[in-house]
Amino acid sequence: MRTSRRLPIHSHNRTAYAFLLPWLIGFFCLTLGPMLGSLYLSLTKYNLLRPPEWIGFANFKQIFTNDATFTHSLQLTFVYVLLSVPLRIIFALLVALALNKGIRGLGIYRTVYYVPSLLGGSVAISIVWRQIFDSEGVMNAFLGWFGLEGPAWIANPDYLIYPIVTLSVWQFGSAMVIFLAGLKQVPADLYEASQVDGAGKIRQFFSISLPMLTPVLFFNLIMSIINSFQAFTPAYVIGDGHGGPLDASMFYTLYLYLKGFSYFDMGYASALAWIMLLIIAVFTGIIFATSRFWVFYGDGKGGR
Amino acid sequence: MKKRWFISVLAAMTVMLSACGSSGGPAASSGSGGEANSGSDQVELRMMWWGDQARADLTNKALELFEQKHPDIKVVGEFSPQDGYFDKLNTQLASGTAPDVFFLGGNVVDYANKGVLLDLQPYKGNELKLDDMDTTMVQYGTINGKLVHISAGANARGIVINKTLFEKAGIEVPQDGWNWEDYARISKEISDKLGKGYYGTYNFTTDGMDIYLKQNGKQLYDMANNKLGFEEADILPWFQYWDQTSKAGGVVTPELQVSNPPNDASKSLIIKGKVAMTLLPSNMLASYQSLTQDELTMVQVPRGPKGTGVVFESSQGMSGYAKTQHPKEVAELMDFWINDPEAVKILGSNRGVPVTAEGRKTLEAEASAADKIVYDFTSRVSEANKKEPFAISYNPPGNAEFIKLADNTVQLIGFGKENVEKAVSDFFAGTVKIFQSNQ
Repeated sequence: MRTSRRLPIHSHNRTAYAFLLPWLIGFFCLTLGPMLGSLYLSLTKYNLLRPPEWIGFANFKQIFTNDATFTHSLQLTFVYVLLSVPLRIIFALLVALALNKGIRGLGIYRTVYYVPSLLGGSVAISIVWRQIFDSEGVMNAFLGWFGLEGPAWIANPDYLIYPIVTLSVWQFGSAMVIFLAGLKQVPADLYEASQVDGAGKIRQFFSISLPMLTPVLFFNLIMSIINSFQAFTPAYVIGDGHGGPLDASMFYTLYLYLKGFSYFDMGYASALAWIMLLIIAVFTGIIFATSRFWVFYGDGKGGR
Repeated sequence: MKKRWFISVLAAMTVMLSACGSSGGPAASSGSGGEANSGSDQVELRMMWWGDQARADLTNKALELFEQKHPDIKVVGEFSPQDGYFDKLNTQLASGTAPDVFFLGGNVVDYANKGVLLDLQPYKGNELKLDDMDTTMVQYGTINGKLVHISAGANARGIVINKTLFEKAGIEVPQDGWNWEDYARISKEISDKLGKGYYGTYNFTTDGMDIYLKQNGKQLYDMANNKLGFEEADILPWFQYWDQTSKAGGVVTPELQVSNPPNDASKSLIIKGKVAMTLLPSNMLASYQSLTQDELTMVQVPRGPKGTGVVFESSQGMSGYAKTQHPKEVAELMDFWINDPEAVKILGSNRGVPVTAEGRKTLEAEASAADKIVYDFTSRVSEANKKEPFAISYNPPGNAEFIKLADNTVQLIGFGKENVEKAVSDFFAGTVKIFQSNQ
């Protein structure tokens, strides 16, 4: 080959592409195609069984002007995200701090706390949750010891959100493992220096641990927000599967699913999906945009 | 060089893309074409139904018998619980991979309108013999002039009574011919006499809505003219009735209705001996009875101005997929289902009373006690229909969404979030909207 002098670079590229290929195939076949398909469908009336009919932006118009369930499900999903994300992150951070004290058997604890993250999204755990929070379940029996009468957590629309949020918080494991790794990276000499200057534990946490953890916090925050917006299984299984009782489990994703697969309105469901995508993009964008003000990379340059 | 590399990657991607794009076609046809391992004529059918394990055992046994009698046909059965069954079916229909035969209920019209059901007319009288089938059932399966649905059993809805609870409360078991005032009064009496945790009835506003409308000369869905069969003012009293009866204390609380839904046999408070009455399709009685020591029976629905509004009608049935490769075999399977005496014996009345006179004779010979109650009940309903005929009803288009709306409305009222008038007004507006968007 004449260009053999430049080969090293190309062979690097080639290797990189080879490694990227599985992902690229997945992206083009399994993600981009269906996404473009759903973008088209969102502009049609498509009942799954007849060919789609072009209706322009009518679905979007309907969603924004004349759909109380959309508004409700969006509100519910926001409440869920605003409750579950901070709680999960705080919980994960507290447990990580506790485990970072150099206790014995750290590996076991780390594994035990991580397991819920693997199981939490499953149907089986959601069913267990349903049993725990049933009006005659473990939770109310526990409250009974203190002389409290717990409500019908699952059956009463006013309370249903709490079992679902606790299920989400219980899956703090993956965030915790990442926090723990972050804490291990904080140089010990910072703590020693601050101790010499007379800083207490709390001062150390806010002035050293937390700033040093912000990149990790940034990552966890984004992942948690995306996950929470997309929560489906807990709502589907802990609720009655149709968003009930009284739409208390009508999360955005569940509404989208029902519209598409139960109510024969896939065009409408596709439009809902694109709105969700934009909402998640906006939230992620906001966090990215503000990150330069609060994420500290320790290289003196601030963000990025 | 760089360009060439780029182009080759692009080419590779395009090949990949087109490969995954078209994979649906050949794969699907090879699947339904059969494995062609044994004789080249072996045909494979897929059949799908909803229900529990007991029903699946019966169905699989019947399918085995069919395979024995038709060695050239293999049938693969699939089933799922009723919750989720139709979502699964809809997805398969949308992707063109629906089973050759599937079960549908009162929502058959939703599917007939969308043109996904096989027209069985060409096979009628040949592979598919309907001479012995009740003519009303044949009519029921004929939608828009096409025979698209073969009923697999008939039932009539009635009030299931937990006799043991009535005895405990010292109240006489009601008789046919009672009315809704009696129903409310008895419900309250039961709740009062048995005390906390016991209730007279479940709230069946949604399930009983079409019955109530027919009792008053209206209907949910006027299929002949393709419009809604009622106005807001027609349905308001029904919601008010349940609101008042609930406030009087005879009805299961909304929380319990959610945590122990009446149509889930594993949780039903009728079976647990906490609720004395509710609306039940007659084909469910035997399986309910098998789950409880309490003695159950069935009474006709309380009467309205025009009668009970209940018809002896198809509980569910089979439809073929319009795109099936083997329509003739589909017709043979349906014929076997309703006409073969051994199949009828295996299937029993799990999906309802057999739809052929011969089939009923076969089953009556060896009926259990619960079956006898059901036969006695359904024959009473048939008798009543002779004097007071009612049209057979189909669910309106967009049924799943409509049921969800109705349940929501009942809960809005039950949990005290809205008053009846406001809730019903929203309910009716929503119904009109759903109906229109499903045209």
